[in-house]
Amino acid sequence: MSSTDSEAVEAAADRNDEQVDGDGRPHGRAGESASADGGQLGAIPRFDVTLRIRRYSAEDAEDGKPAEARWQEFTVTVNGTDRVLDALHKIKWEQDGSLTFRRSCAHGVCGSDAMRINGVNRLACKVLVKDVNPDKPITVEPIKGLPVEKDLVVDMEPFFQSYREVMPFLITSGHEPTRERKQSQEERARFDDTTKCILCAACTSSCPVFWTDGQYFGPAAIVNAHRFIFDSRDEGADVRLEVLNDREGVWRCRTTFNCSEACPRGIQVTKAIHEVKRALLTRSV
Amino acid sequence: MATETSTRSVVPQGTLYRGREGMWSWVAHRITGLLIFVFLLVHVLDTSLVRVAPEAYNAVIETYKNPVVGLGEAGLVGAVLFHAFNGIRVMLVDFWSQGPRFHRQMLWAVGALWVLLMVPFLVRHLSNVFGG
Amino acid sequence: MAAPSLEAPRSTPYRRSASRRSNYEMYSWLFMRLSGAVLVVLVIGHLFVNLMVGDGISGLDFGFVAGKWASPFWQVWDLAMLWLAMIHGSNGVRTIINDYAQRDMTRIVLKTLVLVALVFTVVLGTLVIFTFEPCPVGPDGAFLEGVPSFCTS
Repeated sequence: MSSTDSEAVEAAADRNDEQVDGDGRPHGRAGESASADGGQLGAIPRFDVTLRIRRYSAEDAEDGKPAEARWQEFTVTVNGTDRVLDALHKIKWEQDGSLTFRRSCAHGVCGSDAMRINGVNRLACKVLVKDVNPDKPITVEPIKGLPVEKDLVVDMEPFFQSYREVMPFLITSGHEPTRERKQSQEERARFDDTTKCILCAACTSSCPVFWTDGQYFGPAAIVNAHRFIFDSRDEGADVRLEVLNDREGVWRCRTTFNCSEACPRGIQVTKAIHEVKRALLTRSV
Repeated sequence: MATETSTRSVVPQGTLYRGREGMWSWVAHRITGLLIFVFLLVHVLDTSLVRVAPEAYNAVIETYKNPVVGLGEAGLVGAVLFHAFNGIRVMLVDFWSQGPRFHRQMLWAVGALWVLLMVPFLVRHLSNVFGG
Repeated sequence: MAAPSLEAPRSTPYRRSASRRSNYEMYSWLFMRLSGAVLVVLVIGHLFVNLMVGDGISGLDFGFVAGKWASPFWQVWDLAMLWLAMIHGSNGVRTIINDYAQRDMTRIVLKTLVLVALVFTVVLGTLVIFTFEPCPVGPDGAFLEGVPSFCTS
């Protein structure tokens, strides 16, 4: 017991020594994962893992030459229960405070930390390091098709612009009812799947059409349109269908299923797009 | 200042996206489609020679009768069959309500059907090409 | 000391053209699937008859084509195949151009090329099928060399 405590204290002290500038260190979280290891949870394995991270900073530009992206490797010791996000935190807090990535809730709900881990879009906070073959370096890159701002952070504006264009809000006519708008369980079930979207952009940035033609609405916008098109309380289906009938709309979908496989919420994205196409073909929802 | 250069060109896309069956079947569908389209243009042009003179057509067809073109024809038939069967798979994904659920199994069916038809075709075709 | 000015990272600004309120893309999508379904039958039938039946590829010559086009059935078959395959293929290439060509000018040039190839090939092929003479005669009134045997018998 006492030895475990002192180990943890030592580990924390080490980190403080290394963390010279304190850049990016959040309050009240440091060492949280590290103190969980050691003797008392001996069953959890600890191992070293190398992360190969794609880094870019516009500030690296020199003498009129634009900055270039580069790969950088970091080796960290992680627990068997750690997620890729924990490894990134360790790197940022203990090795290189300039490493830049987004994360907010860190529990797979806010949708901030979508990134490309070993070539596929994942939420860093949902992937356990032990599940992505830690024997080899794990590559971590920003999601594809959106302009990189720094390291793993991309400009999400084109993504949200598409999202706004499908009008993701309830559209009704007439007076607001004094009671709630009622809906049967069957009516609710029709769009249940697409209510789960957290707007992480993992689907849209996994779509080969979106990579090369950034004007395509992308799966996420269609999913969120689907959520309202098939809502019996909503009256804006025709307007939304017309938006998605555009040159850059649902007809650009080539059913590669990358989006369905990338979605951290398990939404059957391709199926949702399929239902929107069908609604457009038959002009009925 | 390097303001004119677009950022996109200096931030390479990184590694290949590791998509699964759906993405690779799409890539293959696109490549075979392009290949068939180019062949189709040539094919219509050479067949048009029948309107010029029988000898002209026969002369061109005669130059095609060698093992290199023969193997190319085998590859072309392979491309056509894949494009056809995968096209049926795409239609099922688009029009059959259970399509998106079974798209992966349907790709295996496409592969099986392709092998099933290619084997007798290759036996027949290559014996023609190499058998003289 | 002035801070270095940084260019905004957005290289491909979001600039979707206003919706044109047309069903063009829907019909194009639908056409690809419907023509594809017909083409599967037409093309595989074509390949089977030309490569598997009879002497296969080595039996191909003017006489073989003449024998086929002597029958209206194969004329219609090949005509349908020509039109559907060319439009299906051109539309597919148009999709590929839309996907990969970034600049508007590149798109216009490439699509024009595809359109020219489409019109030229379809017109040429159609003329050949309709004006085809299975037993062509030379200026001296005799059959040209290479005509199929059914012309002389």
